[in-house]
Amino acid sequence: MKKLLLIAIVLRLLVSAFLFHPDIKTYNFQASFLKKGVVNIYSYLITNKATLPLKDEFVYFPLTYFILGGYQMVTSGILGSGFDSWLADAGAGSVVNNPNIFKYLAILKFPYLILDIGIAFLLLNYFKDRKKGEKAFILWLFNPFTILIIYAFSNIDIFSVLLTLIAFLFIKREKLWKASVFLGLACCFKLYPLLFIPFLFLKGKDLKEKILVSLIPIFILGAVILPFWSPAFVQSALISGLTTRIFNPGFSIGFGESIIVGFFILSALFFYGWLTDKKNNLFNYWTVFLLLIFSFSHFHVAWLLWIAPFMVILAIKKPSLSLPIFILSALAIAIPMFYQDRSMTISLFRIYTTWYDLLPTPFVVLQKLYDPYNFMSVLHSTLAGGSLIISYYILKNQEES
Amino acid sequence: MKRMIWFTTISILFMLFIMPAIMASLIKMTPADDQPGYGPRRLSIYGINELSQKFISKEKNLTAIGTTVKNPNLKNKKEVVLDLYDANSNLIRKSILNGFNIGDGDFVKFVFDAIPDSQNKEYSLTLSSPTAAADEIIEVFLMDNTANGIIEYTFAEETHQGGIPMVTFHKPENKWEIIKEVYSNWLSKLLSPHSRKTE
Repeated sequence: MKKLLLIAIVLRLLVSAFLFHPDIKTYNFQASFLKKGVVNIYSYLITNKATLPLKDEFVYFPLTYFILGGYQMVTSGILGSGFDSWLADAGAGSVVNNPNIFKYLAILKFPYLILDIGIAFLLLNYFKDRKKGEKAFILWLFNPFTILIIYAFSNIDIFSVLLTLIAFLFIKREKLWKASVFLGLACCFKLYPLLFIPFLFLKGKDLKEKILVSLIPIFILGAVILPFWSPAFVQSALISGLTTRIFNPGFSIGFGESIIVGFFILSALFFYGWLTDKKNNLFNYWTVFLLLIFSFSHFHVAWLLWIAPFMVILAIKKPSLSLPIFILSALAIAIPMFYQDRSMTISLFRIYTTWYDLLPTPFVVLQKLYDPYNFMSVLHSTLAGGSLIISYYILKNQEES
Repeated sequence: MKRMIWFTTISILFMLFIMPAIMASLIKMTPADDQPGYGPRRLSIYGINELSQKFISKEKNLTAIGTTVKNPNLKNKKEVVLDLYDANSNLIRKSILNGFNIGDGDFVKFVFDAIPDSQNKEYSLTLSSPTAAADEIIEVFLMDNTANGIIEYTFAEETHQGGIPMVTFHKPENKWEIIKEVYSNWLSKLLSPHSRKTE
């Protein structure tokens, strides 16, 4: 096990240092203002937009800003004096040609490694059967999907994913209060764990507990974001395209009304759990909910991490699902690779050479043979079909058990 | 589980160490330099308003010239022509694009058959859009310095130092040359003393 862990760490460090997604530089540039004493990053960025070299808004929640900014303060001695000018460098070429880039990326992504290994150990202890736990541990550490999603795309969602998994483990031990606290903390990094609250409500033993465990995450989130509440915060983080995209898909029912697919799925699962399932196995609802959300929305590659630990648990619980899960995971990660965005594929390798800028993206290559949007639709439809059947399988087996 | 360990290890190592070579082998031309920086000054090209520019090709196998082109409101849907002349003013290459394919602010490459003996030779290019009317202009940026072998430009019969911020592209002798160059660039950065020490 130790040897495997070491190999897993080495693989992660290599991907950290050699693959570069520009997002990590952008949000670390923004977080670097904590060192200069800026507390409200949202209004600061909007006020000083004209003079800043990078104009993007800070789309994450305040806790992300303080964690990343605080981490930069702690590691500033190792990062060196040239780090801040690298962060502020808007030159597409000079950023990747900086010989310190390997060090910067490895250090900036190091917290993800800690959290990633933390998830592996949580999965190790998830199962009562030690052998199953070890399988989950290995499957988490040795699957190319999470390595890519976390380290190539510099996925900050890992904070929420770890906290959500901790919340889920508390639910499994019937400690709903602790679970709701961790779910609240998870929401302080990314809003999606809020969507699990209806299922937490179902799990409560009586009305008082149901209400309290539902309100705790909202109170924690409120306590963290209210001091920053301003038009700048609302615009940049709360209703940013990335936050609300999950609820974009829908179909019109006329007269300006539409059925929002995300809420439809949430509602259907909630009522299913309420009316038919007395045990309320939240693992099933969270997994099915995420599977269906990814099936029916134009997801960001980073979101796939939300479901990854649950997929590992599912693959160990039901070995017959391992291969279908692997195939659907490959499909899910392939879809964003065909977006027009260069940083999904070719640009990740710009550290090796900026000559890769001359290469066409998979979208452009495919365009010469077939309509890339149709191709993505085929992939997404296949993903949706497979996810639907896996969801059915999960819920059906729940009924039988 | 063993299969998954091997699959993951091999696929990650393949992505980090082999994939760059495969990508490098797909590169058909390489730039001699990065595009030089430029300011907001621009020239409008349409009808008889054409730009000529002298430059020296730093490398052999000159096969394309690239620069940033504005196509305001994407109105130019006419031919955009780059003529290339040697030092004796003989037309040696011509490359024609359609304004329809030029976005506003795109980096546009004019590609032509490679010129094998182009290294350190002086050339002159002419950029025009002869059938475009005054409301179908394309614009090119201007700079005063003489980076990337740029010597001087002529517009409206006036000649000045500098020119458009252009990049010359060159066809590599073979695929291995590019692959070698990519890995040596990556390794030189990785092994650079700056990449290890704390400043």
